[in-house]
Amino acid sequence: MPGSASSTHRPEGLIERLRSAAADGGEAKLKVLRELKNQIIGNRTKKLSYIKLGAVPSVVSILSSASSSADCLLVQCAASIGSFACGVDAGVKAVLDTGAFPHLINLLSHPNEKVVDAGARALKMIYQSKVAPKYDFFEEKNMEFLISLLDRNNENVTGLGASIITHSCETNDEQKILGDAGVLKKLIDLLGGTTSQRDASLESFATIIKENPEVISKFVGPENGRTWGTLIELTKDRYPRTRLLACVCLILIKNAAPSNLQSVGIRTKLILVLLELLDDPGQVGDEAVLTLSSFIADDEGLQKLAFEANTIDKLCDHMQKELLQAKRLQGIFMTLANLCSNLECCRSIILQSPKALNVVTAALTHASADVRVAACVCLKNISRSVKYLSAGHFMTEAVIMPLIQLLFDTSTSVQVAALCTISNLVVDFTMHKSLFVQSGGVKQLVQLSKSMDSTVRLNAVWALRNLMFLVDSRCKEGIFMELRALTLTSLVCDPSASVQEQALALVCNLVNGPVDSIEYVFTEDGLLLNAVGRQLWSASKHEVLIQGMYVLCNVASGQEFHKEAVMQQLLPQASSEDTQSIMVTMLQSDVAQLRTAAVWTIVNLTIPTGAGALARVVKLRNAGIVSQLKNMVNDPCLDVKLRVRTALGQSMTFGDFST
Amino acid sequence: MSLFWSVIRQLAETEAMATSKKVITRDEWEKKLNDVKIRKEDMNKLVMNFLVTEGYVDAAEKFRTESGTEPDIDLATITDRMAVKKAVQSGNVEDAIEKVNDLNPEILDTNPQLFFHLQQQRLIELIRNGKIEEALEFAQEELAPRGEENQSFLEELERTVALLAFEDVKNSPVGDLLDISQRLKTASEVNAAILTSQSHEKDPKLPSLLRMLLWAQNQLDEKAAYPRITDLFTATLEDPFV
Repeated sequence: MPGSASSTHRPEGLIERLRSAAADGGEAKLKVLRELKNQIIGNRTKKLSYIKLGAVPSVVSILSSASSSADCLLVQCAASIGSFACGVDAGVKAVLDTGAFPHLINLLSHPNEKVVDAGARALKMIYQSKVAPKYDFFEEKNMEFLISLLDRNNENVTGLGASIITHSCETNDEQKILGDAGVLKKLIDLLGGTTSQRDASLESFATIIKENPEVISKFVGPENGRTWGTLIELTKDRYPRTRLLACVCLILIKNAAPSNLQSVGIRTKLILVLLELLDDPGQVGDEAVLTLSSFIADDEGLQKLAFEANTIDKLCDHMQKELLQAKRLQGIFMTLANLCSNLECCRSIILQSPKALNVVTAALTHASADVRVAACVCLKNISRSVKYLSAGHFMTEAVIMPLIQLLFDTSTSVQVAALCTISNLVVDFTMHKSLFVQSGGVKQLVQLSKSMDSTVRLNAVWALRNLMFLVDSRCKEGIFMELRALTLTSLVCDPSASVQEQALALVCNLVNGPVDSIEYVFTEDGLLLNAVGRQLWSASKHEVLIQGMYVLCNVASGQEFHKEAVMQQLLPQASSEDTQSIMVTMLQSDVAQLRTAAVWTIVNLTIPTGAGALARVVKLRNAGIVSQLKNMVNDPCLDVKLRVRTALGQSMTFGDFST
Repeated sequence: MSLFWSVIRQLAETEAMATSKKVITRDEWEKKLNDVKIRKEDMNKLVMNFLVTEGYVDAAEKFRTESGTEPDIDLATITDRMAVKKAVQSGNVEDAIEKVNDLNPEILDTNPQLFFHLQQQRLIELIRNGKIEEALEFAQEELAPRGEENQSFLEELERTVALLAFEDVKNSPVGDLLDISQRLKTASEVNAAILTSQSHEKDPKLPSLLRMLLWAQNQLDEKAAYPRITDLFTATLEDPFV
């Protein structure tokens, strides 16, 4: 079919004609450039294939050799270059590599506004890409040029100025120099211009004030009435993107100093505006929900306001719509997660809507890793509800099976998020843990506890620790069989202190409960117990020491043989007389929790009914531990004080040898 | 009198007020309306806004010279916009795309949904004209990659390609795509996008004012009988129906 439109548009043919037009010149140039432009605009795939075929250098060579009076040709060149740069980083790179930049800058001073427009648009596209070079604001000439752009009466040129700022302003010093040069004021003036000017100005305005309280207090904030009023006014603008950007600016001002946005009215208003923007099906809606999520993060007051504004209902309705793009879902889950991080009322709304919970669990298998992570975080925060957690609301196959699958995920961040969620889910319901164990969850947790990535390792051990908490004997045995003393020992000695802490806490839960549980640390010649003892002598982090001490404390609650083994760890015979026992060091610690753990251990060791109790008291006394206890009868920590008295009382029953 | 009875009586009174509507005679009404002042310039701007948005470029030009009202947009761009709209309405989608790109290349480069709908319309026109092979090639090369980028595009694409599967397309479940209304829909989407790119609202103000009038009358109907406007075209006040 020779007449077929698309086959004559095959990239190879067009490229051939473009090359010869670039070489021969003449009328053909304009025609082929226009054709190329119409092929690539809006079409990412075509852009990429033309870039690959080397179209950009041909276009740039036409531009560089064009006479300044060939207005149409200049416009077509700039438009093609701009389109190659629009939304495709490879295109921006190709454009920059071929040296188009200075030619485009020249176009900005062309007498024909159409040429200026085309040049400014192309440059703007370049600056919208992250691969564009950084603009140096500290160069005086550059700052002058930037200001001259913002002063021009052309929306594409001022838009270019704004894009340069949005792209290049990163540090506090850059923000400051732009503020001092009067740029913020110019941007505020531009807010009165066309829609595109307003949006571009708001965006670079946000860039200049972001996380910079100094600039904010100097140039914006409620005391600068006009700016403040304009921003508030723009949250009611007709255009969704403008409303969103105005909200973003106000939130940045609030984040810099919470005193800047105290009015509950305005706070609620911002939440409502952002919620309403959810109805925008495109990028604005996606960004609005992410903005809302970060607005309410870490601020329980705002979470309450968002709850009162029916955010949960709105989001739950919204997320049940079909065909939501990944970014939208991610934002919704993150917002719900933030709402559920503190407020039980939020959790129960979601939990009482089976459909909403289904959407969250279904998203655990979403194609996008970001969505899977967000769904995990959301589920974790919902499951902070002790009421529903204990009722076994989450230990269902629908929740547990996909979560276990996520432990095999190729993305580390997904694995970590799933581990955190599992950690929370397995914590508190003896009744339902067997489902997790039977579903092969433990096997994979153990695998991940051997990961090379310390974050994965940490969270895997953490999950195992929580799983081990108050678990029945059969499950405990199953978990231990999977873990083995050797793995646990190496986790206790892990290079990362946080992993050590969690591993020791895991051992602590392992030996907790029925007396025969204590036997676990004695398997393989007491491999595990020795490792715990070694950590107590060598570790420096008190978090590690506390968990280690509680392991010994639990072991010391067992039979005579167990107590003697603990004495061995605390007062090894090999150590010379003048080495101070670690027990004394811990009793002298500044950390009350560590002192508590240490005294508890002594209480367990000195229970008078034991056959070897007297011998142990004597040993403790000889090591200076009893006299240390006597110094602590008025410990500032009530818990310590009470235990010290019990311990002293028990050791006194054998008579006071100190006199 | 006990509190209970006084509350009941108050309720009854409110009830009575609600059922017997207030009546406003034509004289009273006209007097009230006469007190409302409207500036001539505002009227002119409304008219100009209507002409510009709807694309009556000659009328707008004439109205400018006769009334001295300045349009908020370069009138030349109206001609370009109307040409694009007309091209889509008559099925010359490729032509329309080229015209939009000449007007402002950013419009289609930054609006994937509009770009997809124009390409979809191109496919529909190819199918309408029986260029089946070309249509298939176009769908595969130009539209399929967009479908990969966006799930909802993919569904729309599948629906469009389904046009090829039916003998009697007009009566098929996807027949509406061949309808003239589909062209109008696409044309109005392009029209709106061009207006937005020119910082101009995509809808004229006049219809929304009239909508507001009808809504306000409906609200008032519940409370009063008054001379209302039913026929927007003549805008005559009708005597209140008591």
